[in-house]
Amino acid sequence: MSITLRNTFAAVGALVCLAQPLAAADHTIGALFPLSGPNAVYGDVFMSGADLAVDHINADGILSGPLSIAYEDSQGLPQPAVVGMTKLVNVTKVPYTLSAFTGVSKAISTLAMRNKVVAVNGGGVGPDLATLGEYFWNVIPLANLEVRAIVPYMVNERKLTKVALIYIDDPLGQAMEAEFETELPKVGAELVEAYSVPTTAQQFSGVAAQVRSSGADVVYVASYGNQQIQIVKQLRDNGVDAQLASYSGYAVPDAFALPESEGMLITGQGVDLEAQDPVTKRFVTDYRAKYDRDPTAYNINYYNATLLYGVLAAAIEKDGNDVTGEALLNKRKEMGSFDLVGGTVTFQDNGTLLFPIQVKEIKNGAAEALTSVNFE
Amino acid sequence: MLAIQLAITGLQTGALYALTAVGFSLIFGSTRIFHFAHGATFVVAAYLFYAVFNAGWGVAPGILAAAIGAVVFGLALDRLVYVPIQRHEGSFFTVFVASFGVGIAVQNIIGMVFGRGFVTVNTSLSRSVEMFDNIYVSPLAWIAILCAVVFLGGLQFVLLKTHVGMSLRALSDNPELVRTFGLDPRRIEAMAFAIGSLLVVPAAIITSATTGLNPSVGHHVMLISLAATIVGGIGSIPGTVLAGVLLGLAESMALLVVDSQWTEAVTFAILFAFIIIRPSGLLGRTIAH
Repeated sequence: MSITLRNTFAAVGALVCLAQPLAAADHTIGALFPLSGPNAVYGDVFMSGADLAVDHINADGILSGPLSIAYEDSQGLPQPAVVGMTKLVNVTKVPYTLSAFTGVSKAISTLAMRNKVVAVNGGGVGPDLATLGEYFWNVIPLANLEVRAIVPYMVNERKLTKVALIYIDDPLGQAMEAEFETELPKVGAELVEAYSVPTTAQQFSGVAAQVRSSGADVVYVASYGNQQIQIVKQLRDNGVDAQLASYSGYAVPDAFALPESEGMLITGQGVDLEAQDPVTKRFVTDYRAKYDRDPTAYNINYYNATLLYGVLAAAIEKDGNDVTGEALLNKRKEMGSFDLVGGTVTFQDNGTLLFPIQVKEIKNGAAEALTSVNFE
Repeated sequence: MLAIQLAITGLQTGALYALTAVGFSLIFGSTRIFHFAHGATFVVAAYLFYAVFNAGWGVAPGILAAAIGAVVFGLALDRLVYVPIQRHEGSFFTVFVASFGVGIAVQNIIGMVFGRGFVTVNTSLSRSVEMFDNIYVSPLAWIAILCAVVFLGGLQFVLLKTHVGMSLRALSDNPELVRTFGLDPRRIEAMAFAIGSLLVVPAAIITSATTGLNPSVGHHVMLISLAATIVGGIGSIPGTVLAGVLLGLAESMALLVVDSQWTEAVTFAILFAFIIIRPSGLLGRTIAH
């Protein structure tokens, strides 16, 4: 068989066509989640939402190549998180990473800014997460909104005016204390005592004795992980019968399963799981099918954060550009609003999404919505 | 009223500290082995009780499993780690590093088996009842204090009135003399490990139901044990007991003047004060340089 010019072109053409799928870029984003340590309970919760979004993005084929997530263990602590972020930025070279926990998010934000890597938080709620620069986004309403939602409810609906606060001694806890000091006087209530507890503390019987002596109507717990569960248990064990309240960080299965949680007030972003928009409907249906339970706000947030990457990266690729952190930021600003779980949402100028906040009560091991507060 | 409540809480905490510290003190005092893995013994006992209790086998089998597990673990460490190191004339530092390593390994193994989160034994005994005018005490607090009295009283009886106790004291005072009298120092050392490990069991079980467990809880136990041993006076069992109770009380009563985030600092401030002002501790003998 002679080798003709036409045959050569045909062979080269065929090779180019065959090579096309290989040339398609694999997409990898990072995630800094607590996979070990006392806060590991959150890791599985966060991953279940993000992984489902990856399934959906890959099934839809909206990107030029398959999407995967490189998970790094932050342990919920700043120092391991910085190590993980350094690896994600310099070795894995991701343009986009998921973040969780206020302390972790603050620690990695400078690396994100310096390397122009987008960091998206769906779990930390410290109010100052809104001030970490344009490469740091929040797909979760921050705790200041949760405090602003629950304070009027406690005072106006439940007549609870004397508040005792137990807060973890970290950026989240300190921000929550500042928020209570500002918000309570506005509705004629007072912060009768504020107790800070170290992140590693396990013994709260002494704090419980102080809380009882304070005469508080309501005790607000601003901690997270297993510590918050221990605080609630030991408050009840040590004779505190005041109303207990907390924020979205309490919405984890272990906390709901605790008998002492019964009757607690908690807040969290309001998402209508029965909404009929296609994104919410698909997420809820597939989440229930995959995990055999209803999704929580954390599942939704990390699904949204991952889906957001898919939407932005697809649009950037459609323009024929490389998917970099800078391109993702510019595209987010250009597109403005997004169809995510919970409806069409728009980022505020500070990179934070607004959702309505629900005040809920824990009944029979589940959170039941009492009221919803909208913020503009 | 708050002061009384905090004093009662402190007494409960102090009783648990005394129980954990006295085992370390007994082992260190009689064998001169810096048994840093004493915290790991606590963790092993606590998780064994948790596992057996949660499996629905009840309290008594749980206590039995915790006791057997603690004693076997202590003896195994002595036989498999400390004896070989001593045979090779390993230094005090070698023993410390080996013991520290065992503690870390146990922490990780427990984490792999039971998870790294907190686990708690659910019992109504941890729920406080109002004794009088806003003073709450849980049944477990009484049990902790009772255990401390019984176990530490029993230990003092054993040390002062039995052959085992005399052997332990002899080993502490003069190991060469022990050999001269035809006793086997290895066997006495093993007894120290068995008794010392057994003493952490009540504290481990009560902690599993009050403040909960996680694999790293042994570090705190070890630090408190070390502080109580030094504050009480190295080699003095009554001194260690007294120091354990005082540290528990100080930690709790400190809440009258400082936030709970500083209570651990109070414990170690007391430790530093003793090291500087009275290095021999409350009831200890002066340490020869």
